[in-house]
Amino acid sequence: MTTQTASAPLRPNSPAEVAPVGDRGKKLRRTIAYVFLIGYALLMFVPFAWMIITSFKTQPDAVQMTFIPDPFTIQGWENAFTALNPSLPRLFFNSALIAGAVTISNVILGSMAGYAFARLRFPGREFLFVLVLGTMMIPDQLRMVPIYQIMRSIGLTAGPAQYGSVILVLAVAATSVFLLRQYFLSIPRDLEEAAKIDGAGFFTTFYRVMLPLATPAIAAVSILQFQGAWNGFFWPLVLISNRDYWTLPLALTQFRREFFTIWPDLMAVSAMATIPILILYLFFQRYFVEGIAASGVKG
Amino acid sequence: MRTERRTEMLAGYGLILIPMALFLILNIGSIVFAFFISFWNWTIGGGGVDVVGAANYERIVGDRIFHKAIYNTVTYTAVVVPLQMALGLLLAVIVNSKIRGKTFFRAAFYFPAIASSAAITVLFLFIMQPQGLFNGAREVLGLNPIFEFLGFGENFNWLGDQRSALGSIMGLNIWTTSGTMMLFYLASLQTISNEVYEAAALDGANAWQAFWRITFPLLKPGHYFVATVSVIGALQVFDQGYIAGGSNGDPNYSLMTIVLYLYNAAFVQFRLGYAAAVGIVLFMIIFTATLLQRRLFGSAPSW
Repeated sequence: MTTQTASAPLRPNSPAEVAPVGDRGKKLRRTIAYVFLIGYALLMFVPFAWMIITSFKTQPDAVQMTFIPDPFTIQGWENAFTALNPSLPRLFFNSALIAGAVTISNVILGSMAGYAFARLRFPGREFLFVLVLGTMMIPDQLRMVPIYQIMRSIGLTAGPAQYGSVILVLAVAATSVFLLRQYFLSIPRDLEEAAKIDGAGFFTTFYRVMLPLATPAIAAVSILQFQGAWNGFFWPLVLISNRDYWTLPLALTQFRREFFTIWPDLMAVSAMATIPILILYLFFQRYFVEGIAASGVKG
Repeated sequence: MRTERRTEMLAGYGLILIPMALFLILNIGSIVFAFFISFWNWTIGGGGVDVVGAANYERIVGDRIFHKAIYNTVTYTAVVVPLQMALGLLLAVIVNSKIRGKTFFRAAFYFPAIASSAAITVLFLFIMQPQGLFNGAREVLGLNPIFEFLGFGENFNWLGDQRSALGSIMGLNIWTTSGTMMLFYLASLQTISNEVYEAAALDGANAWQAFWRITFPLLKPGHYFVATVSVIGALQVFDQGYIAGGSNGDPNYSLMTIVLYLYNAAFVQFRLGYAAAVGIVLFMIIFTATLLQRRLFGSAPSW
């Protein structure tokens, strides 16, 4: 396809000659581009492949530059499942619980606030919405000390309540409110009018009419929040001190401190932290991209 | 009609009640609280011990390790931001051109940005260790004479040596965030209409000229946005330094950053008042940097 810059003068029906660069220059540029793209793509893949390969190696084999484990062993995974404390299933459960709760909470609270800010008229609406957007400017680290103190004073820094403290901090993000508000704004008003004529109140209209229509935005918010909470490192580090409630990323960094170089085990835990997101990414790539593009528009 | 307005109002307040309470307490409230704590000698168990006025701030200014943290953070930002932007722009322009498999490449480049920073950092430590893949690969590729010349021997310990630890973390983060910057630039590239390029081509501009004379200047709102996001992110660098070098940013504070310093003050030394003051200082640094950029790039983009 050479629609843009076809320029071979000898071709009888070539389009208007617009490009001064000949086919040779173009081919060369294209080759360089491909070499660069493939090289950079390899730079993305090789480390992850290396992670998976190493998780099936033995400890002495892990520092050899070989791509096929010799001998092939599942010892690293077995250790991760049984010997580590907490074990991999427990860590997986902790991460899934926190990420799942954060996702649900963001969808519910985000769509409630998003709908109110988009459609309902009440005094102070614009001011409060700007306030919500303004919170995106606050770095998490500034909130670290006060939030730790607040959580501690309401008893959320001990026992299973430690799940609660992380979930509460991440319960509703300004990006969730923003994304859903923008989406609600784009839905035509006719549908609400029709519901109103049928005698539906504001809550029924929201719940029965608007929420089902906002599925794409809800999907984007879910993906964004699940991924963020699953990968989250900072808040679990600050708020979860008891190892029984560690998430995968937190445990990974602590394990690395405790048994520094047991690479096959560490790589098995790393793989477990990465694979669920990879699967989500393969299936819902569009929402990842939409989410990041929208969350970037901060202002 | 009036009762309807009333119910609408009540419905509105009802729907925002819980989310707004969370925002007010955990965001707005916590800044006020942080500011308050920063004037106290405040401990984890006992809360406020006594008011120390501006003493915490005075201590920050005089602390040698804080200077090191500032130096590292600024160096990190000054190196990472331009490289991240350049790489992101390069990837975006190539992926945006007429090539095969652009969807695949775009997806591949973005993947490290969505993976767990902890998993990636541990993986990176494994790759960069003395017997790791990086040292192995440079030997296989015959690059060792160059590295030798630069003073990095055969089994060099990249994260264990204070000359190279921060540089390694810079490399790691440029690698993982280039995909995000690419996506931002891709969005910005869509706003430039094809007609401009057609006109330029008619005037005899080649691809190189078209890029520097058209694409680059027209991307100004994109540059502004990417630079802002990138600087804010860089000033808050934490995970990678903490995972690689612990709460002191070892070796020899070479990975000590402002946020790591803040974390260290709060949860290693348990000086919460001091840590809160560091948080306020960090916030002011980020705020100033954002204002400076606004000055530098003119007004904010309209999108």
